[in-house]
Amino acid sequence: MLFYTIKRLLALIPTLLAATMLVFLFVHLIPGDPASILLGDTATPEEVAALTRELGLDEPLWTQYLIWLGNVLQGDLGTSVFFGTPVLTVIADGAETSILLATMTMVWIVLFGVPIGIVSAMNKGRWIDQITSGGAMLFASIPTFWLGLYLILLFAVGLGWLPSSGFPSLTDTGGVTNLRYLILPSLTLAAPNAALIIRLVRASMLDVSREDHVRTARAKGLRPSRVAIRHIFRNALISVTAAFGFTFAALVSEAVVTETVFSLPGIGRLVVQSILRRDYPVIQGVILVIVVLYMFINLLVDLAYARLDPRISLK
Amino acid sequence: MMAVASIRSVFAGRTFAQIGLVWLAFVALAAIFSPLIAPFDPYEIDPIARLTEPGWPHLFGTDHFGRDSFSRALYGARMTVLIGLGAVIVALLTGGLVGMLSAYFTRLGHVLMRGVDVLMAFPALLMALVLMTLLERSVMNTIIVIGVVYATTTARILFGMTLKLKGEVFVDAAVCSGAGHASILFRHILPNLVSPLLVQASFIFAFAQLQAAALDFLGLGLPPEVPSWGNMLSEERIYVTRAPWLLIFPGALIILSVFSMNLVGDAMRDSIDPRFKDDIAGV
Amino acid sequence: MALLDVENLEISIRFGHELLPVVRGVSFSVDENETLGIVGESGCGKSLTALAIMGLLEGSGVRVTGGRMRFGGRDLLAMSADERRHIMGNDMAMIFQEPMTSLNPVYRVGDQIIEALQQHRNLSRRAARRRAIELLDLVRIPEPDSRVDSFPHQLSGGQRQRVMIAMALSCDPKLLIADEPTTALDVTVQKEVLDLMLDLQKRTGTAIILISHDLGVIAETCNSVAVMYWGRLVETAPTDALFETLAHPYTRGLLHSIPAIDRDVDWLDAIPGRVPTIGEQIAGCPFHPRCPRAESRCRHEVPQPREIAPGHLVECHFPYGGDR
Repeated sequence: MLFYTIKRLLALIPTLLAATMLVFLFVHLIPGDPASILLGDTATPEEVAALTRELGLDEPLWTQYLIWLGNVLQGDLGTSVFFGTPVLTVIADGAETSILLATMTMVWIVLFGVPIGIVSAMNKGRWIDQITSGGAMLFASIPTFWLGLYLILLFAVGLGWLPSSGFPSLTDTGGVTNLRYLILPSLTLAAPNAALIIRLVRASMLDVSREDHVRTARAKGLRPSRVAIRHIFRNALISVTAAFGFTFAALVSEAVVTETVFSLPGIGRLVVQSILRRDYPVIQGVILVIVVLYMFINLLVDLAYARLDPRISLK
Repeated sequence: MMAVASIRSVFAGRTFAQIGLVWLAFVALAAIFSPLIAPFDPYEIDPIARLTEPGWPHLFGTDHFGRDSFSRALYGARMTVLIGLGAVIVALLTGGLVGMLSAYFTRLGHVLMRGVDVLMAFPALLMALVLMTLLERSVMNTIIVIGVVYATTTARILFGMTLKLKGEVFVDAAVCSGAGHASILFRHILPNLVSPLLVQASFIFAFAQLQAAALDFLGLGLPPEVPSWGNMLSEERIYVTRAPWLLIFPGALIILSVFSMNLVGDAMRDSIDPRFKDDIAGV
Repeated sequence: MALLDVENLEISIRFGHELLPVVRGVSFSVDENETLGIVGESGCGKSLTALAIMGLLEGSGVRVTGGRMRFGGRDLLAMSADERRHIMGNDMAMIFQEPMTSLNPVYRVGDQIIEALQQHRNLSRRAARRRAIELLDLVRIPEPDSRVDSFPHQLSGGQRQRVMIAMALSCDPKLLIADEPTTALDVTVQKEVLDLMLDLQKRTGTAIILISHDLGVIAETCNSVAVMYWGRLVETAPTDALFETLAHPYTRGLLHSIPAIDRDVDWLDAIPGRVPTIGEQIAGCPFHPRCPRAESRCRHEVPQPREIAPGHLVECHFPYGGDR
């Protein structure tokens, strides 16, 4: 397993390098002088000259990339134009919200997506399947911000059960109960994704159920529910796991809209606000973090794959 | 006539997909004839008639500028069709070509598909946001950005499907009869991919609406004055309690259209060559 | 009364709103220590018959629409799904054609046998594991102690089929149905697997239904044979009697389509024509379009089964060895 992990990790390096190059080039694609872009409109000519020297901006592009990459590897992602603080700190401030939101969303996705998908597959063609698959497709067709607005309207404004916006840290007063601020946002974000998982669980279970070994399992006299879960779902899980990984990895960026609707201090809203503020160092930093995260989660998916499917050789 | 017959067979017994198709036809008609049908100028501001409730003559009420929501919704259908078709064309032309060429010319494919892999490391919405920061807010740019975002998945899908077809006997036969590369790719392979491409196009069309609406909502999509369903929602969201109809109508229009497109895509997917079914990522 | 009695079995497939019969009027019986062979071309309904007896047709759009099946004196068709499941894998077990895909790839073979054992026997996990190793030894898998922890993909095709047999035998079934158990295997392995099954039968007295398209295999292993054509049993007889008379023209055609080393043949008599498709309408005897002996009566009148010798039934107006 260790050897396999290292092998996959090494295979990731070229893609990772290419992706970082794109992120690096981002600042150069914006019209104007990179140093002025990174420092914002208020920078003095002296500051611009200093940054130009520091980042080697008068050197060839290739050297600039290496200098930038060296800085990144030391944790230096530049300084936010808006906050005046290191980009890494700005991102770290949003991390708590984003991670908690993504995790909570994932819990909903698994909690709703998997059982409903299984029930749907087991009752293929019956009314319960038609309602769940149709409902899932409907939910996948709703714009998230619209759903979020109406959830606020219903549960926060109307019934007053849950807060409508913001998220105080778990370390603030309220502690763990502050998680209630994330219930509506996570449900909003979960809806379309759970819908996709329902359809995927159903489709992959129907694929597996046509395989010969399922007939063998039935021939043992097992109960249909046991055949469905231990045999059909367990094999379908291999492809469903991949979807879980991709979904989780995409949640951080998909949360952009949800975090904006619910005014959550997460990385997603940070991106949007930084774009509107033209805070390019932060935009660049966030893209880099999200892309690297995305790749590592995909690596974890590959490893999970290998554990779930004994046919994949670990050598 | 053959096309009609095959459409019939695809949608036979699928009541919901049929309703979806009818709805999409309505949207298309509204898009084409919006200047003729619209009772008001969608840009005309009337401060006295702000936030009028739905009724006569303002069927969907008016927004906070006093603009007629029904007329804006009709013109919004235009944006819907324009963005959907535009994104499909961009995605299929760029991604589709990359995928097909990569599968056909193995060595070129090695390089191109690695590039696609790198781009796939950028989550869809993030990529759209980043591209929009580099570009002006305009209808054209929104279309290009959304199309490019779906180009990567399209490239992957076409790569896989072309690879499968490349191994078929009829391709060998064409090679043996001295057909050139272009002829094999576009006259022998492409025609076999038309129906799976239509399915993929319908899903891109559906997703493009949601992406465009999200971009509009974040203030990074179409210019705010353009009457699109996403902008209508985005512009009026603060009035949700005072004038709920301003969000109900455009929201329902988006949901209905995306849902219809998904239903249609789903029905078509069930009728295509089973070999390609797993390649296409829909809902 | 025999262990399994099948009477007038009819199986139909749903085709839109219609139910088309694909197996009709099939009757036979099997008893302890007996091996019945069912033979026929692919698509003749032999596998459907096997699945119907097992109770595995459910959910496939195919179902039993007529006739009776009695197992140990109990009416299988009158049973609830729960009662059927209690018999399945317990008193009645089945081996399938595709050993490469019939085992679940994600579980160890031992665990798959243990699952079958624990379903019907009240065994502790440790006892079940011990029994699984015994069973693997019984089906002659080398080093069963370590093989019990193998995944299916780590075993050869022959070994996987042995695992399937071990799994089928785990609860000492009274009836074992083997659907083309050796078709997918190498010739040398085929013989070993068949010998194994017969050897186990000698020890346990299990009744076996062996389904095959290969008359050679049937001739070597079975006490009696049922020949199926287009969903009907055209000839049923004790093995010796069947091969002595080859009364039905179809049986004869089947035998002559196998090349034999010990027989001098100048040419291979493949049966002319093709098996009719499902739902096709054929007046008279369904075999007449391909039959060398067909006469006008065959085109109009469906032959009824008749006994040309004790235990030897033929559905033919003009069987070989009969009077014309």
